[in-house]
Amino acid sequence: MAGTKRTWDGKQLSLQSNNSSKKDQTSTMAEQSTQILSIFETFRNELDEHHDRRERLIKISRDITALSKKIIRKLNAPLPENITKETQSRFTQIQSLFTTALPDITGPNKWRYQRQLSGAIQEYIEALSFHHYLTTQTLITLHEVRAKIAADVLVTEEDYLLGLFDLTGEMMRFAVTALSAGSVASDPGASEKKMGLSKEQNGIVVDLRELRSLFEGLSVARRHNMIKDLAKKMEVMQGSVEKVERAAYGILVRGSERPAGWMPDLSGGGDEGY
Amino acid sequence: MIDRTIFESLQSKIDEEAAVRDELHEIVQTLARNGRSTTAILSRAHSTPSDQLKPVLDEATKEILAQKDQVARLKALADQHPFYKYNGVWTRELQNLVSSIELCAYLGGLEEYKSNSAASFLTIEEVGKFLDIPVNLKEQDAFHLTIEEYLLSLISMVEELSRLAVNSVTLGDYARPVQIGSFIKDLFAGFQLLNLKNDILRKRSDGIKYSVKKVEDVVYDLSLRNLIPKSSDAA
Repeated sequence: MAGTKRTWDGKQLSLQSNNSSKKDQTSTMAEQSTQILSIFETFRNELDEHHDRRERLIKISRDITALSKKIIRKLNAPLPENITKETQSRFTQIQSLFTTALPDITGPNKWRYQRQLSGAIQEYIEALSFHHYLTTQTLITLHEVRAKIAADVLVTEEDYLLGLFDLTGEMMRFAVTALSAGSVASDPGASEKKMGLSKEQNGIVVDLRELRSLFEGLSVARRHNMIKDLAKKMEVMQGSVEKVERAAYGILVRGSERPAGWMPDLSGGGDEGY
Repeated sequence: MIDRTIFESLQSKIDEEAAVRDELHEIVQTLARNGRSTTAILSRAHSTPSDQLKPVLDEATKEILAQKDQVARLKALADQHPFYKYNGVWTRELQNLVSSIELCAYLGGLEEYKSNSAASFLTIEEVGKFLDIPVNLKEQDAFHLTIEEYLLSLISMVEELSRLAVNSVTLGDYARPVQIGSFIKDLFAGFQLLNLKNDILRKRSDGIKYSVKKVEDVVYDLSLRNLIPKSSDAA
């Protein structure tokens, strides 16, 4: 803090340079106390601004996460028209929430508050990619994700990847429901010997296996900052894939014996994410 | 249908980032190595009477200047990337350096960088000027010293000074604990102005009161025995 050096009683210090050394020392000390206080006042204001920004973003992040979770829950149920509409309005709400975050993430703040928003972005990617998969049976690309969020919001490769991990959990849930809903039985022409999974059922199992092998093929340096989340997510993902594989096996082997409303045995397939 | 190219491009992004991290890490390691020798030299202040400090400070300044060169290298590289993305790689070492600079300045070194030679510490602007780096950038996304980093460095300095107060007495210097006491009480008052949230700054600054108490105990012991020299005011 530059400024005129003053003594405790407000006189300019330079005018008093001829004073005895003792008085000089006392006045320097008093001056230093006030200087420190004024410096810290500036710091306080800056830190307050920082905390305000941070809290605003955390709030937005929570809202987006909650909306995304609602979308995902709806998507997991069968998809009548009115639900599609409801989902669409939630996607719009999320997009406008991202827009309200924009003033707080300009310049260096884009990365400064990355962690505050990243959870919401991952959840949103989970919802988006799940919706995308159900409608197109393909994986949404990072480019497509970015197109669905305000341009200045930071969507990192890490967020995208971690969002895809969560997607496998949703695909698992969807697949298990679809398998037990039983299109095996809905294939009336099939005799017991030719019994197999329907094309759609088989598709999701194949896709999950493919995803698993691609995830496992990634190599992430130990110094990378997402390494902590990665091991856990990997385990959950492997568990999900295995559950679907077991479910598919169950349908295939015991399909004809199962009573109506039978659910595949999911025990021993690893932990669920949440 | 899963598109494999998605994962190929993810992998190449991950690799790019790893390369940047490795490069930054290499510089930070050199900075840390120099930092350790700076700290080692400065800790000799605990066993050196204040009138013989000059050679210690000169030696410390030399090491600090070597660290300054590493900071320049770091700045050149870090400026090519978003600041807060990689800030975590170097923040610790930068804080250590700043607290060494502050300690050295308090002991009487680095005089030419102080606004006034009697000042006990360098302001954040003065530190920035010394290291030749910007401070507290708000609009521009470039390498700089943040307020949080500066404040954390001051806290480390306070901890070191409370130790020095004890050791000064052992060296027969009864005036210094009083000076240290009044200085860190000023800083403590400053920290109490801040509205801290539950973060690292809060945790670290909670420790200042123990440093203040440690020094106050020393001053109390000295004044009880009439050992404080008359020329120096008890704060």
